[in-house]
Amino acid sequence: MTQSNIPVDLIMSKLAEASEKAQTKARKGSEVLLADLNTDIAPTPYEIVYQEDRVKLKYYRPEGKPKYKTPLLVVYALINRETMLDLQPGRSVVQTFLDHGLEVYMIEWGYPTRKDCFLGFDDHINGYMDNVVDFIRKRHNLPKIHLMGICMGGTFSVIYSAQHPEKIKNLVTTVTPTNFDTDKGLLHQWMRHIDPDALVRTHGNLPAHVMNLGFLLLNPARLMLDKYVGFLEHMDNKKFVENFIRMEKWIFDSPDLPGAVFKKFIQDCYQQNLLIQSKLQVGGSPVNLKKITMPLLNIYGLYDHLVPPEACEKLTGAVGSKDKEDICLRTGHIGIYVSSKTQAEFAPKIAAWLAERDTQRKLSPKPAPKPAPKRPPKRKARKTPQPKAAAT
Amino acid sequence: MAEERSPNTEDGNMFAQWNESMTTMWGSMLRLWFPDGPAPDQSAADRRGTHGRVRASAEAALKNWQAISGAFSAPESLEALFKGAGAMPEVLAQLAQTSFNSYLEVQQKMLEQAGRLGEHVDAYTFTDIDENLFRTWTEMYEQEFSRFLQIPKLGLVREYQERMSHAVDAYNRFQATLTEFLSLLAMPVGRSFTVLQEQVAELAEKGEMPEEGRAYYDMWIKVLEGHYMTLFQTQEYADTFSRTLSSLSAYQSARNAVIEDMLSGLPIPTQSETDSLYQEIHRLKRRLRALEKEKA
Repeated sequence: MTQSNIPVDLIMSKLAEASEKAQTKARKGSEVLLADLNTDIAPTPYEIVYQEDRVKLKYYRPEGKPKYKTPLLVVYALINRETMLDLQPGRSVVQTFLDHGLEVYMIEWGYPTRKDCFLGFDDHINGYMDNVVDFIRKRHNLPKIHLMGICMGGTFSVIYSAQHPEKIKNLVTTVTPTNFDTDKGLLHQWMRHIDPDALVRTHGNLPAHVMNLGFLLLNPARLMLDKYVGFLEHMDNKKFVENFIRMEKWIFDSPDLPGAVFKKFIQDCYQQNLLIQSKLQVGGSPVNLKKITMPLLNIYGLYDHLVPPEACEKLTGAVGSKDKEDICLRTGHIGIYVSSKTQAEFAPKIAAWLAERDTQRKLSPKPAPKPAPKRPPKRKARKTPQPKAAAT
Repeated sequence: MAEERSPNTEDGNMFAQWNESMTTMWGSMLRLWFPDGPAPDQSAADRRGTHGRVRASAEAALKNWQAISGAFSAPESLEALFKGAGAMPEVLAQLAQTSFNSYLEVQQKMLEQAGRLGEHVDAYTFTDIDENLFRTWTEMYEQEFSRFLQIPKLGLVREYQERMSHAVDAYNRFQATLTEFLSLLAMPVGRSFTVLQEQVAELAEKGEMPEEGRAYYDMWIKVLEGHYMTLFQTQEYADTFSRTLSSLSAYQSARNAVIEDMLSGLPIPTQSETDSLYQEIHRLKRRLRALEKEKA
């Protein structure tokens, strides 16, 4: 009889040990879950300074006197929410900008309802965005402002900068898809098979739960299983649990996507790749990327599975700017904003890049910005004033 | 010759006898329920009222029955009737045959799939996807059963019936494609376990079995992730995913149409009406925006 190579006794004893550890972890975990948890997201105080329909403009003021002459407008995607830029203490892009003395405005797109399903690119870009830009320019008495776009918000920012170059001083695009003709991301492959007409006809807007299911299906083993196994393994760690729940809150706090935007994004961008070829039309006018002549900083993630580098890196070659730069960080689509590793390089890099080009800045920031300093004590959100917009 | 009676003639006699007995029975019942002459306590109004009308209706119905059954009792009518009835089993047999052939096809696929059980599974390949079984089922539904729901509807309410049948059909199609899609999604799980077993067996042969349970989980989740990544890049997955979404949209549209039919009789605006209003508001707001910009 041959001797088995399998150390059965050792495996069994390890299993018993693991089972005991799991029991202890579950007990401690239940104590953590039953205790008071701080899972608030977007804790940085802000004012709502403008509102038009469902769209609001958040204003974040730095402590003390602003160090930049020109404020920054951040345009987030219509998918998920802008709270990702201010997810938790110590991992807030917004707070890092404030710490550098930069005034930040951020568009909150709100939750589109059925009545918004006819609002397309033109309504969002030449309507809401343009009104917001004009509001900020008037408020600061400036001809131009800095613009930073995120993901689909970056695509909007590129289109806006091409159609209104006279209003943008510097453009920053982050994980922004502009070239859709690539097989590198599953999203790019799947979107070619989607019939947006049928979905929009049926749903009006693309329901958030359909989008979320689609995102989970990009990697079900990790996103629907392994992630929660990881949670169970660390459920006795209060900090871990709090951060995990913050991320869960953000992921599933998803507005529906206006039907007309979804349709154009799929048909004109994913299926026909018109933007990078300067063939896209918005509001009856062409989007000529060569008209983007302001300085451009284009940042993307090497491991981004939603917007792979191939979808981002062609932009700098297509625009008319002479001052342009690509930065590829070794991170993913969300990690670029929330991972502790990129916190030290992403937002500080943008702040430094803007400072170098903020020719009317009031005070020169340090040439090599340090990682975000410790957050000041939490302030209460200021009372929301009556919106100043004249829109309906 | 005169003694020879065709089966149809026998049937005719049977029908005539049955007809006669039925007429006699219903005639007696009618007399029992409505005896001749008014009841002593029955008012003139009652006689002219409901009671009288019911009796008159029952008598009319009996007379109609006698007329119709008399006509049917005629040998030539009976022959035509039984000839039509004789064709019925042929129609039914034809229908059954078509459905049975499709069923056999599905069974054949199941047998083929069962035959592959226990075969070696190549890691990270989906060249021979077993979801054909469910595709066959979907095709069978589309080719056979769906046709019954698409039979043209007739009459005053035909449009409502058509929308209802369309909704049922769309629901069935959605369920069929959803089953296909879910079966496809489940495939990597089964395959990953088979690959894991093979990997563990290899490690056991080398005497390199991991001691920690977590190591087995890590091995499995890595294999599972790899299988999903491979599956997601296949044309079959993209097609099935797209078909599922389309069938979901088709079903929801068809369901909404039925709901709008129901709402049309109630003082509640339908989605089409509100959509039309939203579109009008959108158009007006755009005009307003253009005018404002022009003025500024």
